[in-house]
Amino acid sequence: MAAPRKATVLLKAVKKITVQFCPFESNVRSTREFLSSVGSEKARATNMNCEVVSAVKHDKSEPVVEITYIDGERLLMKGAKLTASEMLSAFQSRCAAKDQQAKAGAKK
Amino acid sequence: MAATLCVKLLPKQGWLPITHSVRHGSKAVTRHRKPLHILRQKLLAVTQYVAPPRAAPPGAYPSLTEHFREETGLTLLMKRDLKKVFEDCRMIAVVQNNSCNADDMITLKHRLHKHGVAVKFFPNQVIRSFLSDSVYCNLAPLFVGPTALVVSKDPKAKEVLTVLRSSPQMTLLGGCIDDTLLSAQGVVGYSKLPSVTVVRGELVSGLAVMTSRTAALLQRHPAHLSALLRRYVEQRSPEGAPTAPEAT
Repeated sequence: MAAPRKATVLLKAVKKITVQFCPFESNVRSTREFLSSVGSEKARATNMNCEVVSAVKHDKSEPVVEITYIDGERLLMKGAKLTASEMLSAFQSRCAAKDQQAKAGAKK
Repeated sequence: MAATLCVKLLPKQGWLPITHSVRHGSKAVTRHRKPLHILRQKLLAVTQYVAPPRAAPPGAYPSLTEHFREETGLTLLMKRDLKKVFEDCRMIAVVQNNSCNADDMITLKHRLHKHGVAVKFFPNQVIRSFLSDSVYCNLAPLFVGPTALVVSKDPKAKEVLTVLRSSPQMTLLGGCIDDTLLSAQGVVGYSKLPSVTVVRGELVSGLAVMTSRTAALLQRHPAHLSALLRRYVEQRSPEGAPTAPEAT
């Protein structure tokens, strides 16, 4: 699969992840891979409060990943033309940035 | 040097020296590049090393032809298994499982087994090559990533849905019930349908309602029927003179 190997996704700063796609379309591969890496046991073990919700539709809509962070920020990724690694890297960079902010805030 | 040697050592006429001096004439080691003997030159030219042409690295160019890989015994076995599964089971659901906890899987399998439902795993490649030959080719795009097949002889969509709802990580992608492709919503809708006997009863009763009513009407006294018809015509045309059709 194209999902990166060292995908230990940190979900510490995430409240909810909603993945919505239509499986009969051909552009959902990256979204599904993103879902499998985010919904795996390892990723969910980093944060047990985070919900991973997957919605399967049949209306030829675009695959969309919506991530709600703890501080209220939302990240919307349209997975039709993105690869799984791109989505994961964007997501992880955001999470890492949030983590650092939270740690800096906690130290102060 | 050679001439002086020859003069000294060749006293008699026609006597050749036993020791043949090697270092006579040109030397082997010279400071310049000694021109090769023509035969040696020819030999070297013929036996020159030609490096083999380096092929492009394996992923550089896409292959022109899809090379047909012979199917191993294992794939053939799995295909046969798949074929049997598709023939036997009336209901096949495709589920994506993101978390493969052994405990969760065992609990899930146990719960489904109580209802006679089995969970089968096949490699995606095998499934895709099988589906491209068979009738169910439209199921092919569903099989991406970690998927599992939930199969059963009797279509027990309700039980399957309840069990799958309890494990949040299994996503129902779609299914095929009685050779009909269904999406996720289709499977949910199918589970909400009442059973076949109930539907048949409803259909029969719906058809029979009108005939039973007319039969009941006709069984009554004919005067009653004519009075009813008169009233009906009066209602339909209130302004004109009501000419009630007489019941003959």
